[in-house]
Amino acid sequence: MAAIYLVDVDQTPVYTHYFDISYIPSTVFFFNGQHMKVDYGSPDHTKFVGSFKTKQDFIDLIEVIYRGAMRGKLIVQSPIDPKNIPKYDLLYQDI
Amino acid sequence: MAPAQRCPLCRQTFFCGRGHVYSRKHQRQLKAALERLLPQVEAARKAIRAAQVERYVPEHERRCWCLCCGCEVRKHLSHGNLTVLHGGLLEHLASPEHKKATNRFWWENKAEFQLKEKFLISPQDYARFKKSMVKGLDTYEEKEDEVIKEMAAQIREVEHSRQELVQSVLEPQAVPDPEEGSSALGSWKGTNRGCGSRTSLPAWLLFVFFSLVASTSQQPSYLDLPLTPELDWMETGQPLTFIGHQDTPGIGNIHSGATPPWMVQDEEYSSVNQQIGPSYEEFLKEKEKQKLKKLPPDRVGANFDHSSSTSVGWLPSFGRVWNNGRRWQSRHQFKTEAAARNKQSCKEKKTIVS
Repeated sequence: MAAIYLVDVDQTPVYTHYFDISYIPSTVFFFNGQHMKVDYGSPDHTKFVGSFKTKQDFIDLIEVIYRGAMRGKLIVQSPIDPKNIPKYDLLYQDI
Repeated sequence: MAPAQRCPLCRQTFFCGRGHVYSRKHQRQLKAALERLLPQVEAARKAIRAAQVERYVPEHERRCWCLCCGCEVRKHLSHGNLTVLHGGLLEHLASPEHKKATNRFWWENKAEFQLKEKFLISPQDYARFKKSMVKGLDTYEEKEDEVIKEMAAQIREVEHSRQELVQSVLEPQAVPDPEEGSSALGSWKGTNRGCGSRTSLPAWLLFVFFSLVASTSQQPSYLDLPLTPELDWMETGQPLTFIGHQDTPGIGNIHSGATPPWMVQDEEYSSVNQQIGPSYEEFLKEKEKQKLKKLPPDRVGANFDHSSSTSVGWLPSFGRVWNNGRRWQSRHQFKTEAAARNKQSCKEKKTIVS
């Protein structure tokens, strides 16, 4: 069963900095204390930036992460339709 | 001696000839069997006046044993998904074959004459039952109709309440939406994204209205697909909040491969010696102790602690020739024998003296 925690970015500056959270909402996935990366088709694989379009997307993503993690993978392919994944600009100091 | 005859009621073979049926055992068996059958027949008789119709349930496939005919009879009458209770039994009891069999049974087993009528159903009674069955079926249909109407009314009510709820929710939403949307857009276009400032709303508010990619002139190179179909669900109000670039030049982050914050050693812990658990010598000592724990400390054997004090009786050998088992067992035996020997020698001395 997946546990979901809602974290305020103001109260966790260390983790916000570590995960480079520039846009909220961002979702970071862990399995057994191990950070799981997912290829969403976006440039940042370390977190899911934006909100999920449907609950089912979220559920499917969690299942794919779980299955990959149980097989020992550290990065998995996202099952969400690319058109449902929010697009954002990944700028580094306005470059 | 009379020829062997098997009595099915007593389930035994007798050599008494026709005398068996008058015997106490047989009459007792007969009485018990009739008493078992009687309640079912009585229940069926009650159903003549008021036939009960029910929905079919596999329980209604039950059969009962007719003593007179010596066969299994279906208790209830089922057709489709309806059952008339006790219908099958009544049909059988009213049949002429059953009447014949009952007569024969009564004659053969010498049962009480008055009881016979109780196990028979006359054709008139059966006709009455049929009429009440028809009535029962009608009432059942009416009941079913009522139930269906009630259910339909309930469903309609639920549907109605649901629609009301939906409408009530939609109406207030339609009013504030246009107001909020326009003011937020205005405020967004005023701020410069490059300066990294947050919007005026507090950080815990996740949703702010603005259109993301359409307003920018830059397009990320990884977007090969056309923009318009992708943004359909985005523009209906699922926006992102920019909270500033998280780049501090000195400290690394996940992209640069820095140590995760949860893996960083605590300061007070790293200064202390990190060895946990017992040292090797302590472990070996513990092992020795465990080994010696199981055996008594001053037993005879290897690793005997020579510094321990021993009693007088410790040294001699009490062992027998073919002994097995512990030393204390042979010692115990030796002691009892020694005691017996001493007693005997004392007695001998006494007799000599006297």
